[in-house]
Formats: sequence, C-alpha cells, structure tokens
Amino acid sequence: MQAQQPLISRATRETLANYTYLLPAAICLGGTVLFPILKSIYMSLYHNVLSRPQDFRFIWFGNYARLIQDPIFWLTLKNSLAWVFWSVSIQFVLGFVGALILNAPFRGRAFFRTINLLPWIIPGVVVGLIWEYIYQPNYGPLNDILRRAGLISIPIAWLSQPITAMPAVIFANIWRGIPFFSIMILAGLQAIPDEVYEAATVDGAGVFQRFWHVTLPMLRPIIVVATATRIIWTFNYADLIFVMTSGGPANATQITSSYTLLTAYTDLDFGYAATLSVVLLVIMLVFTALYLKFTKGVESVAQ
Amino acid sequence: MTRRSGDMAERILGGPVLWLGLGAMTLFAMGPFLWALSASLKTWAELYATPITYIPVRPTFANYIEAWTSRLTPFSRFFANSLWVSSVTMVATIVISTSAGYALARFRFLGKNTLMLVFLATQMFPAVLLIPPLLSQWYAMGLIDTYQALIYSNFSFTVPFTVWMLVGYFESIPQELEESAMIDGSTRFGAMLRIIVPLAAPGIAATAIFAFVSSWSELLYATTFTSSTDMRTLSSGLLYMAGQYEVQWGQLSAGVMISTIPVAILFTFLQKHLIKGLTAGAMKG
Repeated sequence: MQAQQPLISRATRETLANYTYLLPAAICLGGTVLFPILKSIYMSLYHNVLSRPQDFRFIWFGNYARLIQDPIFWLTLKNSLAWVFWSVSIQFVLGFVGALILNAPFRGRAFFRTINLLPWIIPGVVVGLIWEYIYQPNYGPLNDILRRAGLISIPIAWLSQPITAMPAVIFANIWRGIPFFSIMILAGLQAIPDEVYEAATVDGAGVFQRFWHVTLPMLRPIIVVATATRIIWTFNYADLIFVMTSGGPANATQITSSYTLLTAYTDLDFGYAATLSVVLLVIMLVFTALYLKFTKGVESVAQ
Repeated sequence: MTRRSGDMAERILGGPVLWLGLGAMTLFAMGPFLWALSASLKTWAELYATPITYIPVRPTFANYIEAWTSRLTPFSRFFANSLWVSSVTMVATIVISTSAGYALARFRFLGKNTLMLVFLATQMFPAVLLIPPLLSQWYAMGLIDTYQALIYSNFSFTVPFTVWMLVGYFESIPQELEESAMIDGSTRFGAMLRIIVPLAAPGIAATAIFAFVSSWSELLYATTFTSSTDMRTLSSGLLYMAGQYEVQWGQLSAGVMISTIPVAILFTFLQKHLIKGLTAGAMKG
C-alpha cells in the first residue's frame, strides 16, 4: 500500500526550514534598513515638521522643488565634494606611505602597527573632541606650537572662521582615515609573493623600478576597492562635522549628510530631511553602480 | 639603474628614511591622544594656564573622579548605558548572524547571490540616511529615549557586516563534518550548534567584538534617539558635555580616555581577525 502523500513535500519543507535560518536577519534588516528607506521615500512627499503638526499635509514633490531652489543644499554638495576629495586623496597618499613603512622588516613592527591603527578605531566623537581641543584658540596646542615656532602672533580661531574651518575638519578626518588605507594596502603588499620581487631583482630592477613595475600594478585591485569604499563612506560621514562645527560657521563646513542630520534632528523637519536622504541614497546608488562597472573592468585586466 | 645604486637606495630607504618616517607617522598618530591624556591629568589651574604645558606638572586623577561622579554629566551612568546597549546588541547580533551566516554558507537558495549583495550593500548604508525615517518610526512607536531604539538601530550596521564575515568562516569549515553527524541521527540545527559553531568560535568571537566596539562608538543614533541625560551612552554623553555652556576640557579629556581605552584594548586583541575579514572582502572584489 502506498504511503499517503504529505501535504507539503519533503523538499519543500526543507526549503522552508532553511529559510527560517534567515528569518531573524531578514526581520532586523527589514525593520531597520529596508522599511526605513521605503518610508523615507514616502515621508519625502509630505510636509511634516514635527513641531508644527497642524501643517502636516501631502505635497507631492513639493520637498523636491524646495530642494532644487535651496541654495544651502547646493552649497552642501560643493562642500561634500571638497570634503571627499581632500580627505580621501591625502588619506590615500599618507596611508600608502604608512603601509610601505609598516611593511618593512624592523624590530617591534607588530607594536607599531597596532598603535598606528588607533586613530581609526576610536569613537568618532572622541576624534572630533580631541581635535576641537587641539584647535581651541586660547588653550589649544596648535596655536601654541605655531606661536612658539614664530609663525603666528595672534591666536587663530580655526573652527569659527569660514576660511579655516573646512581645512581644519578635513585635517581631523585625514588623521582618522589614514590607518584605513594603511591596513588595506598593507594587506595587499603582504599578498604579493616574494618570488615576484626576487625575479625582478635578478632582472636588475632597483628599488624604485620594483615599486613602479611590480608593487603598484599588483596593488591596483585593492587600491580601487579601498578608494571607492572610502569615497562612499566619507561622503556619508557626518559625525566629525556634527561634533566639531555642526556645519558652521555659516554652513562653511556643512556637507550634505550633516545637513540631512541637522534637518531631522535640530529642525525636526522630517519631510525635507527624508527628501535629502532620498537624494543621498540616489547619489550613493549611482556611485556604487559606476564603481561595480569599473571594478569589473579592473578584474578583467588583472586576470 | 645599475645594481649597485639600487642597493644603495635600498640601504638608505631601509635605514634612516624608514626610521624617520616611522617616527613622524607614530608621533602624528599618537600626538592627539597624548595631548588628551595629558590634559585629563592636569589640574584646573594648569589647564587654563599660559603658556601651555605639555606634561602635567602635578598629575591628578581629579578629572576622572569628577567626570565619573558628576551629576550633570554622570560618566558612570553613560558607561553603564554603553555597556548595556553594546552587550545586548552584540549578543543579539551574534545569534541572528550565526543563523543567517550558516544558512548562506550551506544551503542553496533562490536569490542567494542577491541576498549576499544586499548584505554587502547595507554595510555601506550610512546612519544619516536612516535617521529621518528611524527617528519618526521610534517616535510613532514610543521608543524614543529607550534602550530598545538604540539596540534595534544598531542592528542596521552590525548585522550586515557580521553576516558577511561569518559566511566566510562557515564556508571554510568542511561540510562533511555536520553531514556525518546528521547520518548519526543529529538534526541539521543540532549539528550546526554542536559541531560548526564550536569550530567557528574564533571567528564568531571576532565578529562579536566587532559588534560590541561599533555599538560602543556609535554616536548619531545614540544622540538623536535619546533625550534624557540618564539615557545617554558614552559617545552621546561626551557630545552633550561638550555642548555645555562652558566646556570643561579636563573632565572632557577624562571622558575621552574613559570612552577610548576599552575600545583600544578590545581592538588590540581583535586586530588580526578584523583585518583579515576586512581585506578578504576587498580582495575578493
């Protein structure tokens, strides 16, 4: 006699059981990432200032129209570009030099690797506050050092002048981000087999030639990945600016992500903040798509 | 370039230039910390004295004691809040990601690659982008100023990264191990718990520390989703302290050291694992 066919086949049951392993993670990311993203698209269609609930209404693309006419928004985009360009390019160069140094054989290398990593791992607020203190006009060490060196005679208020504020926050961000590049490039350097260098040396290549013709090409994939990741990350990184200047003075250090944060947190203007975050999302997706296209190109070159 | 001059350049680069570079780099990396450490040990008078001193004349722990016991900015409370939020986030993250990581490493799924891509992409999601909707969501649910709001929000960045890292760890463990256990009558779940999880323990520990440290450092959620002093974590408490009418640089520096030291110690242990995980993702492209 044939056994009765179960309602759900064994294979289907197994598949369902397998999906339950993913369920908690799916709920978490659904609730804290995917749903909020959809919600911000929906919120961006409303005029919604939390402190003025009587004005709450559906305004179609009114927030987007406001965005296009908002001079501060365009200023923040320009500031974001400067912030990303100077932060990432200088972090890259110094991080690269750092990786080359930390890759050389010397006594106590593990110790030096660890302590040079510290700026990257400490909380962002700590970075912001330490640098705010360093830039403090009267009791901060930067002005003191410059005065002792005879470079300035009156104290400079680094974070409260529009001309110096942006370079000052960028510098703090550079300090924090150098170890990221050092780590990534160091890992890349360690992955290059010694034989390649030996072969190049046998062929008569000097230290600079080896760097140019062996090291750099072999590091290319990791450089591309590290730089792209860093660009996205820096573009979105609002902590330092939030802590050090809140975007001031007069929006001189306001980048798009800190503007989004302050619009939600300080102005409680959820509709407009959501619109800004939708724009941030679109910029990020476009960049990621370009990056993926580009790295596929790099991979085919590498292979 | 001849062999000889190459060797010479190498000797100079490997000798004096290397040591100079290493010295400058280390001084640059450590200088700001040393300044904060020094300031945290100064007396009030010395903090505001001119000219500035770089090594405290009469080092004292007074700033630490004041910060720890202060009523206005109670660092003992901030510390406890950070510890609680980070620990719960860590434990929950590990349970969630071990299960998801195992499934992604072992089972065939429809859309598995898409899922992996989602986990990779969400790692890049900035807190700022999620703040407007999450803030309104927590308002609507009445979760503002609760630990839950912080812990749930932290999942948005801990879960994607830990899942991604754990998939790699689980994939490196041979499948035959749990298959033989299942032949001996164990269930799939039992085999995972008894055989795979213990083998992956170092990797799980590393991801756990990552989840802890990143929650510990988190600032924006902790600031925007809390409103009372008693609910602040170390990060948001520090920012709150800095926003006071007159900044107490001594206490603030002590607070900076209190927030930094645990992370620095944990990261020293974690360093090798974390770097491996971080660069493995990048190496794969």
